[in-house]
Amino acid sequence: MMPNYEELNEAVIVGDRDKVAELTQKAIDEGAPPREVLDKGLVVAMDEVGRRYQTGEFYFPEMLRAARSMYSGLDLLRPMLAASKDEGRGTVVLGTVKGDLHDIGKNILGALFEGAGYEVVDIGIDANPQKFVDAVKEHEAKFVLMSALLTTTMEEMKKTILALADAGVRESVVVGIGGAPVTEQFSQEIGADFYATDAASAVAKAREFN
Amino acid sequence: MTPRERVLAALNRQVPDRVPWVENDIEESLQVRLMGKAEYTPPELCEKLGLDGFGYHFPFKGQAVAGQALQAGESYKDSYYYPQKVTFDFFPPWIAEMGSDPSTGRTYVKKGLLTSRDSLELFEEFLPDPDHPARYEQVQKWLEEYRGDYAVFARIRLGAASTIESMGLEQFAYALMDDPGLVHEVHRRFSEWTARVVEHLNQMDFDFLWANDDIAGNLGPFMSPADFREYFIPHMKVAADAIEKPWVYHSDGNLFPVLPDLLTLGMNAVHPIQPAAMDIEKMKAEYGEQACIVGNIDLDYTLTRGTPDEVDAEVKRRIEVVGRGGGYIISSANSLPDYCKEENVWAMSEAIKKYGLYNRD
Repeated sequence: MMPNYEELNEAVIVGDRDKVAELTQKAIDEGAPPREVLDKGLVVAMDEVGRRYQTGEFYFPEMLRAARSMYSGLDLLRPMLAASKDEGRGTVVLGTVKGDLHDIGKNILGALFEGAGYEVVDIGIDANPQKFVDAVKEHEAKFVLMSALLTTTMEEMKKTILALADAGVRESVVVGIGGAPVTEQFSQEIGADFYATDAASAVAKAREFN
Repeated sequence: MTPRERVLAALNRQVPDRVPWVENDIEESLQVRLMGKAEYTPPELCEKLGLDGFGYHFPFKGQAVAGQALQAGESYKDSYYYPQKVTFDFFPPWIAEMGSDPSTGRTYVKKGLLTSRDSLELFEEFLPDPDHPARYEQVQKWLEEYRGDYAVFARIRLGAASTIESMGLEQFAYALMDDPGLVHEVHRRFSEWTARVVEHLNQMDFDFLWANDDIAGNLGPFMSPADFREYFIPHMKVAADAIEKPWVYHSDGNLFPVLPDLLTLGMNAVHPIQPAAMDIEKMKAEYGEQACIVGNIDLDYTLTRGTPDEVDAEVKRRIEVVGRGGGYIISSANSLPDYCKEENVWAMSEAIKKYGLYNRD
C-alpha cells in the first residue's frame, strides 16, 4: 500500500516537523522507495508552499517553518538516497556574490531547491567568482544560482559568468540570478540563462532545464 | 518659507512654497566628497545641496567629551552615552553578533542573539539606560549650534526592526510557532525602551522624529498581515504613542499589505516608497490623503547607475505626480549611500530647484 503522502504533504505545509519526521520514517519502514517519499511527500509539498508564497498566502515565516519541517524528513532520506546512488535532479551551487552579505533570500532558495530534490551546495555570502568556479568543478554542478541585494554587487554576477567561461565550464552549467535590484534585462545583458523574482519561481525555471 | 516651515508644512500635508528635500541618511564618505572637504557643519551641507533638513550623523566630532569613556575598548553603552561624532540618532543596538565588511567598513547583522528565553538577559548587557542624561545633553548642544532654520530630526526605532534583526528572521519565524510569547517579550522590551527615549526627545529642539523599522522586502512584508497585527502593532504603538512631534515612518519594501495597520500608529509621513516595491501613483491616490509621502527617487538604478539626465527626468515626474497638492518631501528611495554617483546627486539637487516650486495662483 502506498504511504499516505497527503498527510505528509500537509505536515510539511503547516511546518509540523515532528510529524514530518514521523510520517517520513513510517513511509520508509513500509518499504516506500526513498526517491518516491522525497518526490511525493516533500517535493509536492514544497511546491505548494512556493505557490502559496507567490500568491501571497504565505510569507517568510510560513515558508521558513515549512522548510525546517521539510529538512526533518529529508535528513532521514539523505543517507538512503546516497546509498542508492540516486542521481537526483543535479547539483546546484548557490551563493551571494562578492561584496554582498545578505543571506536570507539565499537560504530560502537553498531550502526550496533541496525540497525540490536537488543537491544544494551553498558557498555562502560574499563569494568571489573563483569560489563559484571551484564549487562547480568539485561538485560537477548543473546549476549556478547567484543572488545580490545591492546595486553595487550586481556587477559581480557578470564577473562570475566570465570566470565560468574562462574556466571552460560555462557551457555545462545553467546560470540563474536573482535579488532585489536584479531585472530580466540585466540578466540578458550579462548572459545569464534565467532570472527569477523569487525562490519559488527560480525552482520552476530551473526545472525547465532538467 | 524657511526650510523648517517647508518641511513641517509638507509633513502636515499642506502645500509649502516648494517641495522640500530631506534625506534619511547620507553616508559620511559621500558627504565629504560632496563637500570637497572634511570640515563642515550640517547646515553647510544642507546649504550646498539645497536640503531642507538633517539628522543622522557626520564624520567629525563636536566638542571634546571628557571622561574615561574615551578610552579604547569602551563598551557600546559608553559610546552611546558619549558620542564621538556629531549625531542625532537614538537607535538601540542590535542584540546581535555584528560583522563588518573590510572594504567599506559597513557593519551588518551576522546573527541575532535573542534566540531563547535565557537570551533575554542580553537586554541588560546591550541596552543603554534610556534615562542617562549625557547623550541628550550633548545632542541638545549640537542642536543649538547647528539647527538654525533647518528641520532637524532624530532617528529612532519603534522596535519592529530591532525584534526581527535581534532574533534573526529564521529564529523569529520559528518562535512564532514554537514560543510566540518570546516574540512579544522581545518586542515589548525594545518598544518600551524607545518610549522612554522619546519622552526625552519630546523635550528637545527636534522638529520631527524618523522611525526606521524595516519590516518588508520588495515582494511584501516579512510576515503575514495577521502576524503583523498580533505581534507588532501593539508594541510599536507603545513607542508611537509616546511621540509628541511630527514623525515619519520608514520601512524598505512593499508595505501595501500592512499599510492600513501601520497608519493606525498615527505617523505624519511614510518613507521611502521604493519604486521597485511600491507603485507611487497608487500610493498617492489611495493614501495621499492620510500621510505625507517621503522618497521615491530610485536607488536601484537612477541615482546609482543612471545619468544626470535620467535623474532630472525622474525628479520632474515625481514632483508632478506626488508633489501635486502638497504632502510630498522628495528624497532618495532610502538614503544616499557612498555608491551614488556624485554627479547624480548634484543633478537631483538642481532638478529639485528647477521643478520644485509650487504654483501659488
